[in-house]
Amino acid sequence: MRIEISYKFIIGFIVVVVSGILVNLVVPYIKGIEPEFRQVFAIFCSLVVGLIIGSVFSRAFSDKIRRLTSAGDRIRQGDLSEDVVVVSSFPDETNDLAKAMNQFQASLRILVGDIRNIAFRVASSSQNLSGTSQEMSASAQEVARATDQITKGAETQAEMVEESTRLFKEVAVSIKLVASSAKTVADSADQTLETARSGNDMAGSSLDSIRQVLTEAESSGQQMVNFIAQLEKISTFVEVINGIAQKTNLLALNATIEAARAGEYGHGFAVVAEEIRKLADSTTTSADEITGLVESIRTEGQQVQTSMAQVIDEMESGREAADRTNQAFSEITQNAEGTRAKASSIAELAEQQISSAERINRAIDEIGRVVSDNAAATEQVSAATEEQSAAMEEMAQSTKELSNMSESMLQIVKQFKLVKEQEQD
Amino acid sequence: MTLILTYRLGNDLYGLEIDAIQEIIEDAELHHVPRATGVICGTINFHGQILSVIDLPTLLDFAVDKHDHRHLVLTSEHRSLVLKTSRVERIVNLEMEYLEPPPADHDRPAVRGIIEFDESIINLLDTDEVIKQLEDIYAE
Repeated sequence: MRIEISYKFIIGFIVVVVSGILVNLVVPYIKGIEPEFRQVFAIFCSLVVGLIIGSVFSRAFSDKIRRLTSAGDRIRQGDLSEDVVVVSSFPDETNDLAKAMNQFQASLRILVGDIRNIAFRVASSSQNLSGTSQEMSASAQEVARATDQITKGAETQAEMVEESTRLFKEVAVSIKLVASSAKTVADSADQTLETARSGNDMAGSSLDSIRQVLTEAESSGQQMVNFIAQLEKISTFVEVINGIAQKTNLLALNATIEAARAGEYGHGFAVVAEEIRKLADSTTTSADEITGLVESIRTEGQQVQTSMAQVIDEMESGREAADRTNQAFSEITQNAEGTRAKASSIAELAEQQISSAERINRAIDEIGRVVSDNAAATEQVSAATEEQSAAMEEMAQSTKELSNMSESMLQIVKQFKLVKEQEQD
Repeated sequence: MTLILTYRLGNDLYGLEIDAIQEIIEDAELHHVPRATGVICGTINFHGQILSVIDLPTLLDFAVDKHDHRHLVLTSEHRSLVLKTSRVERIVNLEMEYLEPPPADHDRPAVRGIIEFDESIINLLDTDEVIKQLEDIYAE
């Protein structure tokens, strides 16, 4: 049964008053008390009752107020784990206050819980964010490095393009040289062709001469053979003459012997015989000389024949050599023609190559410009990446700060005790 | 003046008066004689007479070398010997008063005397010595 405090005071007052009245009524009936002390007794009794009731009432009230105060103190300290409990047989405003405080505490608890949850979430999000920003920072650094490499690559590319341009100019110069060399070769091949043709003609005419000489040499050889055969005949004749001379010599000797036997008459005959013998001897000598001459002529003739044979052999080999020379000149002519054709086609190809090389040079210049543009673009990218990286670091810093803030917020919120200790554990 | 036929025995120049020579023959057909010594080459038919051919260089111990094909047929006063020489040379006309006997140290065999002619020495053949040597051989 709810009774407001003011009513309680009134009831207490009434009870004290009623007890005073009742005591006044009762006292006369009480033996032992002097009448003059009755009034004092009655007042005394009323005071005792009033004190007792007042004491009981104020104790209960104080107790409630103390509870409320301690609850307020606890809430102030952040302990929201316990409800405020005010026990009374007759509820009053203190109960209302306790109820209101409980409602306030519940609301506060929900609020703190929400704040704590949010702080948790913020902390975790900020941690995630921190991780992400670190990753992003790392990625940005990676990008920066990659961009640096790209920049370096672009520089190398530019250098290579320059080198290529230079090399290609050299190649173009070389191709021009090749073209002029090929022309020179073609001219030389023409000259060679001309020379080879005249050489061919000369070889042909020398071949004809050699053939003619060879024919003459062969007929000379034949004549020499005939000559030697006739020499043989002369030798035969000389032998016959020699034989005759020997016979004459013998006849002369015997004639001399016969003449001697004839004595004085044979003297003239002996002289004739001696003359005949001398003639026969000189015939023999001459015949011997002829034989010697024939022999030496034959020897020389044989030598001439041998030499002639050698000459013919040499002529033959000369003819073969001239044949080969002819053949060689023909081959040279063919080769020179081939060379001229090849050199001409090389010259044509070189001309084509020169125009191609010029086109390639223009293309390389174009590539160079593109590479320069790329390098510039890459530098811009690099700058942008650096800016991004800086921003990323700032963000990371901010995220860290946010994380710290959420941490401190959590710390603060943790000061609030939402449930009892054993439940928290 | 005497006519002398000169001939060679080996390299030595010999001579013989032509009075002792009947004829000089050439390329006579030589017949082989059985059991003849090395000195007798064989026999020839000289105008119907069968004559022995004496190898004079072999008989007089000259180094055997080439022979020509001429033989000297001696007169019957010299037993009609047929002499084979190394080579028959020629007939020369000599003054016989210049003939000298061979010196004591002369080592050429069957030399009757020596005479100088044209800066060379002609040994005149001693036909008797030749016959004597032949007889010595056949006496054995």
